[in-house]
Amino acid sequence: MKLQTTAETISFVKELEEKSAKFYEDVFRKYSKDEDVLLTFAGENKKYFTQIQRAYYSVISDAIEGCYAFKLNSDDYEFETALAEDATYSDALAKAIEIEEKILDFYHVAADQSMSLMADVPRNFKIVAKKRKNRIPTLESLG
Amino acid sequence: MAILEEPVKGVPKIKNYVDGEWVESKGEVMDVVNPLTCETIAQVGISTREEIDDAIQAAKEAYVDWRRTPPVARCRYLLRLGQLLEENFEELSRVQTQEHGKTIDESRGETRRGIENVEVACGIPTLMQGASAEDIASGIDEYLMRVPLGVFGIISPFNFPFMIPLWSAPYAVATGNTVVIKPTEQCPISQSKLAELVDEAGFPPGVWNVVNGEKTVVNGMLEHPDIKGITFVGSTPTGRDVIFPKCGATGKRSIVQCGASNMMVVMPDCNVRGTVPALMTSFFGNAGQRCLAGQNLIVVGEDDGFYNEFMEAVTATAKEIIIGNGLDESVQMGPVKDVQKKERILGYIESGLKDGATLRLDGRKPNVVGGYPDTCFLGPTIMENVRPEMRVVTEEIFGPTMGVIRAKDLDEAIQICNDNPYHNADAIFTSSGKDARKFQYEVNCGSIGINIGIVAPMAFFPFSGMSGSFYGILHTQGKEAVRFFTESKVCIHRWI
Repeated sequence: MKLQTTAETISFVKELEEKSAKFYEDVFRKYSKDEDVLLTFAGENKKYFTQIQRAYYSVISDAIEGCYAFKLNSDDYEFETALAEDATYSDALAKAIEIEEKILDFYHVAADQSMSLMADVPRNFKIVAKKRKNRIPTLESLG
Repeated sequence: MAILEEPVKGVPKIKNYVDGEWVESKGEVMDVVNPLTCETIAQVGISTREEIDDAIQAAKEAYVDWRRTPPVARCRYLLRLGQLLEENFEELSRVQTQEHGKTIDESRGETRRGIENVEVACGIPTLMQGASAEDIASGIDEYLMRVPLGVFGIISPFNFPFMIPLWSAPYAVATGNTVVIKPTEQCPISQSKLAELVDEAGFPPGVWNVVNGEKTVVNGMLEHPDIKGITFVGSTPTGRDVIFPKCGATGKRSIVQCGASNMMVVMPDCNVRGTVPALMTSFFGNAGQRCLAGQNLIVVGEDDGFYNEFMEAVTATAKEIIIGNGLDESVQMGPVKDVQKKERILGYIESGLKDGATLRLDGRKPNVVGGYPDTCFLGPTIMENVRPEMRVVTEEIFGPTMGVIRAKDLDEAIQICNDNPYHNADAIFTSSGKDARKFQYEVNCGSIGINIGIVAPMAFFPFSGMSGSFYGILHTQGKEAVRFFTESKVCIHRWI
C-alpha cells in the first residue's frame, strides 16, 4: 500500500514499532533468555513511536506538504514475526536482525523523502534509526 | 488505513458562551452539515441583536478587572489554555475535519498553528513593554506604555474554523482586552470546543465570549459603541464594502483580511521534484479554500520543451491525488464546504472555458474513494491557455483549480502579479538567487514565497496582505497584533 501523507506514515511507524515490540516479547516468552535485552527493546519501541509522534504533532502545518511528504510503499517494509515450532533461539535472533534491518531501511528512506518537508520528523527518524542500528551488534552477540 | 473515529456524536446544539456561561440562543436554528456525507452533525442558534449586546456588555464589565490583572498573571491563563489545547490536540483536529471536510493532516496543521499563537501571546509581559527616555529636558523624563482598549470583536470564516480566531484572541486578552468571537455559522463546533477549554482554563467570566450567528451579530458588533476594534477574515466584497468602512464610520480600529488570487511563478531552473508537491499543497490543499492558496500558475519562458515536461509532472501528480474522507489518513484532499461553494467553483471553470481556457485536467466528476456521495466534492482542475484578464484570474475562486498562464520572462510574470487586483501571497520557484531577489523586491504583495507554495507567516510574524486582500494598517499575529490591541499612552513627568 502506498504511503503518501504524513498521517498515514506516522500510523505505519506505530504499526512497525508495535509489531516488532510484540515480536521481542514473544521471543522472550518462548525462550526465557536475555530478558534485559529483549524486553528493553520492546519498551524502547514504544518510546520511539511516542518520540516520533510528538515530533509530528509539533511541526505539522497546513503550510507544508504534509499530504505529499512521502512516496513509500508499506509492502516494502512488511515483515513476518511468526516463528516455526522448532525454531531455535538463534533462528529467532536471526529473524530479529532481519526485522531491525527492514525497519532501519524504512526510517532511512522516510527521512530522506521528507527532509525538506517535515522539519523535526526526519531528524527523529534518523535518531531512532541510529539507536536501532546499535541493536544489531547486540543481537549478534546474544545466543 | 483505518478511518479515524468521528468526535462529534449525535446532533449537539451549539450554544453561545457568554460571561462564563453556556447560553442557548433564542434565534433561529441552523444545521451544521458535514460536507463528506451531507448529514447534519450539529445545530447552531443564529443569535439576535439582544444576544450580541448582552455579550458585549459582559465583556465590557469583565474588562474592568481584567485590564488590572498583571500581564504575567493574564498569561498564566493562556499557558493553561495552551496545555489543554495540547491535551485535546487530536479531538480538536478531528472536529475540524468533521465539520469542514479537510484532511486530518491539514486539521492537525491548523491546530498546531492555532496553538502557536497562544504560545507567542504568552510572551506578553515582554511583548507589550513600552519605552522610556530619561532627561528629555533637564529633570524631565518621558515614557510610553501600551495599554488595552476594551472590548474587541473577532469575525472569522469557515475555511480555518479553529485557527483564525486565534490569530487575534490570544493577543487581545493577553494585552488586557476582552473579546467577543463570532465563529462562522457553517463550522461553529471548533470554536465551541475551544471555548470549553477556555472555560476549563479558568478565564474570568466575560473575558472570552463566543456568539454564534450571521449578519445580525456582525452588525451588532459594528454598530456597538463599546466595541473598540474588529478583526475580520473573509471575502473582499464584505471586508472592503462593509467591515472596513463601517469600522471607520464608528471610529473602530480594524484588521480586515480578505480574498486572494495568488500567483505561483515557475522558472525553468526550478527543482521540479521539490516544486511539484509544493504546488499540490498550494493549489489543492484545503480543497483550495484558503486565502494563501495558489490560484494561478505562471510558467516562465518560451521553451515548449520545459513547459510540456513540467506540466506533465504537475498533471500526473494532480491526477493521482486521493480524494475522500479526511478522517481516512491516506486521503489527500477532502470536499469543499457545501454545494453552493461547489456550484460557484464550477461556474468559474465554465467561465474560464468560455473565455478561451482549455482543460488539461477535469476535476468536475471526481473519483471519491470510500463510496461517499460526490455532492460536495471536486477533483483538481487544471486549465491552460489562461490569460491574466480572465475572471478565473481577476476574481477569487476558492476551490481546487489551477489556471496556467505563460509568461515570456520574469519581468512579464512580475507584471502579471502586480496587475492582479489581489495582493496577498505570491511565490516563485527557482534555483536562482538573483531571480528570487528580483521577485521578492518587485512584487507588491503581503507575503512572498521563494520555493514555498503556502506562504503562511508563523505566529511571531504578521499575517500580511496588501491592497485588494487587506484593509487596515496592522495585521494579526505577533508584534503587530500586540500593537493593534493596545494604544500608546505617553507620560512626561517632572518632580520639582
